[in-house]
Amino acid sequence: MTLTDKSPDQKPATDVAGPAHPLGVLWRAVTTIWSVPKARIGVVMLGVFVLGALFAPLIAPYSPTNNDFGRSEDMTAAHLLGTTAAGQDVLSQVIYGARVSVFVGFIAGLFSTIIAVLIGLSWGYLRNKTADVINFIVNLFLVIPALPLMIVIAAYLQNGGIGMIILVVVITGWAWGARVLRSQTQSLRSRDFVTAAIFSGESSGRIVFREILPNMTSLIVGSFFGAATAAILAEAGLSFLGLGDSTTISWGTMLFWAQNSNALLTGQWILLFAPGLCISLLATSLSLINFGVDGLSNPRLREGAKR
Amino acid sequence: MSATDTEAPAATLLSVQNLSVVYEPTGGEPVHAVSGATFDLGRGDFVGLVGESGSGKSTLGFALTGLSKPPARVGGGSILFNGVDIAGMSSEDLRVQRQGGFAMVLQSGMNALNPVRSIRNHFYDIFAAHGHIGRGEREARAIELVGKVELPAGVLDRFSGELSGGMRQRVSIALALSLEPQLMIFDEPTTALDVLVQHAVMNTIRELQKSEGFTAVLISHDLGMVLEVTERVMVMHNGLIVEDRPAADVLASPQHPYTRMLLSHYGDPRAEIVEVPGLAARGPKRAPEVSHLKTDFVPVSAEARARAAGTEGVQRREGRAAREAIVVSNVSKIYPPPRRGEKPVRAVNDVSFTLEPGASMALVGASGSGKSTIAKMITGVEHPTSGTITFGDLQVDRIKRRSLKRLHTEVQMVFQDPYSALNPLHTVEYTLTRPIVNFSKLRGRDARRRMLELLETVGLTPVEQFAARLPHQLSGGQRQRVVIARALASDPQVIIADEPVSMLDVSLRAGVLALLDSLRETWGVSMLYITHDLLSARLVTDQIMVLNQGAVVEEGATASVLQNPRDEYTIRLLDAIPHPTTPTPEHN
Repeated sequence: MTLTDKSPDQKPATDVAGPAHPLGVLWRAVTTIWSVPKARIGVVMLGVFVLGALFAPLIAPYSPTNNDFGRSEDMTAAHLLGTTAAGQDVLSQVIYGARVSVFVGFIAGLFSTIIAVLIGLSWGYLRNKTADVINFIVNLFLVIPALPLMIVIAAYLQNGGIGMIILVVVITGWAWGARVLRSQTQSLRSRDFVTAAIFSGESSGRIVFREILPNMTSLIVGSFFGAATAAILAEAGLSFLGLGDSTTISWGTMLFWAQNSNALLTGQWILLFAPGLCISLLATSLSLINFGVDGLSNPRLREGAKR
Repeated sequence: MSATDTEAPAATLLSVQNLSVVYEPTGGEPVHAVSGATFDLGRGDFVGLVGESGSGKSTLGFALTGLSKPPARVGGGSILFNGVDIAGMSSEDLRVQRQGGFAMVLQSGMNALNPVRSIRNHFYDIFAAHGHIGRGEREARAIELVGKVELPAGVLDRFSGELSGGMRQRVSIALALSLEPQLMIFDEPTTALDVLVQHAVMNTIRELQKSEGFTAVLISHDLGMVLEVTERVMVMHNGLIVEDRPAADVLASPQHPYTRMLLSHYGDPRAEIVEVPGLAARGPKRAPEVSHLKTDFVPVSAEARARAAGTEGVQRREGRAAREAIVVSNVSKIYPPPRRGEKPVRAVNDVSFTLEPGASMALVGASGSGKSTIAKMITGVEHPTSGTITFGDLQVDRIKRRSLKRLHTEVQMVFQDPYSALNPLHTVEYTLTRPIVNFSKLRGRDARRRMLELLETVGLTPVEQFAARLPHQLSGGQRQRVVIARALASDPQVIIADEPVSMLDVSLRAGVLALLDSLRETWGVSMLYITHDLLSARLVTDQIMVLNQGAVVEEGATASVLQNPRDEYTIRLLDAIPHPTTPTPEHN
C-alpha cells in the first residue's frame, strides 16, 4: 500500500471486503464515536439515563404517583431527595421523569431530522421553481420566533400530552436542520460523482438518497443530536410553563410543581435542583456525543484525537 | 541581515543524514514514508526532487522545513541546517528560524491567502511578526518584493479573489521571499496552474533563484520540468532516494530503472514518430498490436482483448459500432456576467465541427479556452446560447431532461478526476451495475455477469476481487479504469474523455491511454479527447482542434498540425511543454 500525499484519508487495503453492509457502517460509526474521549463520556452519561428510564420500575424506590407520604419532607434515608408538596417521593419522580425526556428527545429529534433531511436534500438538489417555494416556507419557519410559536401552539392544543409536545417541537425545530443540509447538498451536487450518476441514467430521487445522502451521514447524525437536545429543552420548558399535561411525571412538570409550591422559599431547593441538573446533564451528554460525530466524516480529527 | 551571516558561511547549507519519516495512523501499522534519506545541499544549489504520488517527496519536503504534522513524525536521523539540528526543534524556535532560514511554497499556496485581507496586509503581517523591517520601509519593501516576482505595485491594494491563479502563486512566492530565506522549498508550485501560466511562473522561479542566490528545492512529479529547470535531480521511489546526480547526467545516462521508466514517458509531440512505452506511434497504417511493453502497468492484454472480441457483447458491437456523427454547428455559449457591471462571458464562440463515427478527435486548449463547456453542451448538461448540436435524430442543443437518458445511452463521459468521479461509499460493483440496470434489460445475475465482463475489458483482474472494492482501496489508475468501465456500461457510440489522464502519475497515463485507444478500435466507438497535453493528443487522436478563448484557431490532422503549427497560440502551447530529451532555448 502506498501512502499518497494527495489523499490523507486513504487507508490500507486490508479490509478488502469493505464495510458495504449497513451494519458494518453503523459499527464503524459507533467505534469512531467511542474513540473520542469527550464523546465516550457523553455515551456513558446517555447510557445511564436510558437505562434509568428503561428500568425505572426496578430502580425507583416508590411509585412516582404515590402520594401517601408526608408533605414537603426533607432528605431522609427513606426519601433520599425528600418528598413533594403533594407527598410524592422526589427520587422516584426524577427516575421516572427520565422516561419522558428521553422519549420526547429521541422521537421529536428523529421526526424533525427526517423532515429536515427530506426537505433539505430535495431543496438543495432542485434548481427550479419548487426550490423557491421551499425557500419561502423554510424562511417563514426560521423568522418566526420559536418559543412564542411553541407556546401559542401548545396553548391552542391544550392538554394534548406528550404527543402534542412532540408535534410542537417538530413543527418548530426542523427548519434550521433543513437549511444546513441544503447547503451541504448544494456543494455535493456539483461533485463529479453526482454528474456521473446522471450519466448512468439514475433518477433524481436515487441520486439524492443513494449518492448524496450517505455522504452527509455525520451531518445528519449531528443534526439529530442537536434536534434531540433542543427537543428535551423545549419539552422541559413547555412543561415548566404548565403547557403540557401536568399530571404526567416529567422533569419539566416537576419544576412546574416545585415552582407552584414555592419550593425555594420553603428551603426545598433539591426539588428544583434535581430535575434541573438532569435536564442539563442529558443535554450535555448529547452535545458531548456530537464531538465524536465530527470525527465520522473527518479522518484528520480522528488522527488528532489521539495526541 | 540575519545573524547567521556573521558566521563564516560553510559550503554546505543543509546536511541530511539518514533521515526517516514515519506515518503512524491510529489503529494502523506505521508506514515508513521516507527512509534513510542522506544528502547535502550546497549554498545556491537548485535541486529537483522528483517522484510519483506516494513516493514520499512531499513528506521529505515537509520534514526539511519542520512542518511534519501528525500522524507523520521524524523517525530518526538528523537535519543539519547551518550546522544546527532542526529535527528536534520546538515549533517556536522553528518560527524564529524562518527569518533568514527556510521557507516553503505550497502547491495550494495560492489558496493560502486570506480573502478578506489585501495583499499589502499579508506582507505587513509577516514584517510585523518578525520585526525585521522598520515601519517606514514596509511599503517600499513590499513593492520591491512583488517586483521580484514580476507583479506591478498595484496588486498590493487588491484582494486574493481579484487575482488569477498564477498571480496568487507569485504573491505567495514573494511572501516566502520576504524573510530572505537561505533555503526555499517549492512543493509542486505550478501543478494547479494552467500550462502557459505554469511555464511563466517556472521561469520566474528560475530567474529569482539565480538573482537572489538562495538554495532551492523543487518538488515535482514532472521529471521533464525538473530536468529543464534544475542543476541536480534526486529521484524518489517508495520513500528511497534512488538517484541523486546532476541533471545532465540523469538525462544522458539514467542509472536507476525507475528513472529510465519515467524518462521513457516523455516525447516531443512535434517529432516525426511519437511513441511511449505501451502506446505505439500513430500512422495511417498502424501496427495492430501494442508494440513494446516495458513499464509495470498492465494494459488490456492482447489475450483479454481477443477474448472480449469473441464475446457476445462485442459481436453485437459489429452491427452497432458508432453509426451516427455528432454535428456541432455555429455553437456559442455566453454566460451571464460574474459580477454586476461586467461583460457577459463568451465561453464558446461560433464553433463548428463534426465528430465522424469511429473517429478520434482531440480538443486542445489552455484552461478557459471553452473545451470543457463544449463537452458539457454535447452531453446535454448545458444548453448552447445559439447554434445547433445534433446526434442522429436527437436535437442535443434543446434536449429535455426526459430524453437525456436516451442521449446518455449513446454518449458517455470519462471524467478528469478519478478521485471525485466515484462515490466514495459505493463498491465498484454497485457503481458499474447501476448503468447496466438503467440502460439495459439485464437484471440480477445477468447484470452481474455483464459487470464482470466490463471489469475484464478494462483490465481489472481478478474481476471478483475488484468488484467488491471501495474507491479508496484502488489506486488512481485503477479508479480511472473503473470510470472508463462505467462509461462503457451503456454500450455507447461516443465517449467524451475530459482530460482523462491529467490527474494520474506519468507511469499510469500510458496504460489508461492505451486502454482508451484500444477500446475505440475494438468497440468502434468515436472519441472526443479533451486535453491541454499535446503529447497525449498526438498519441491517441487522428484529428485535432485547437481552441483559444472559445474560438477554433487551428484544426486538421493531429500529426500535421503539431508538426507545422500555424497559429501563434498553438506554438505557445507547444513551447510550454518541457522537453527533457531536447533542451530547449529560452522562450521569454
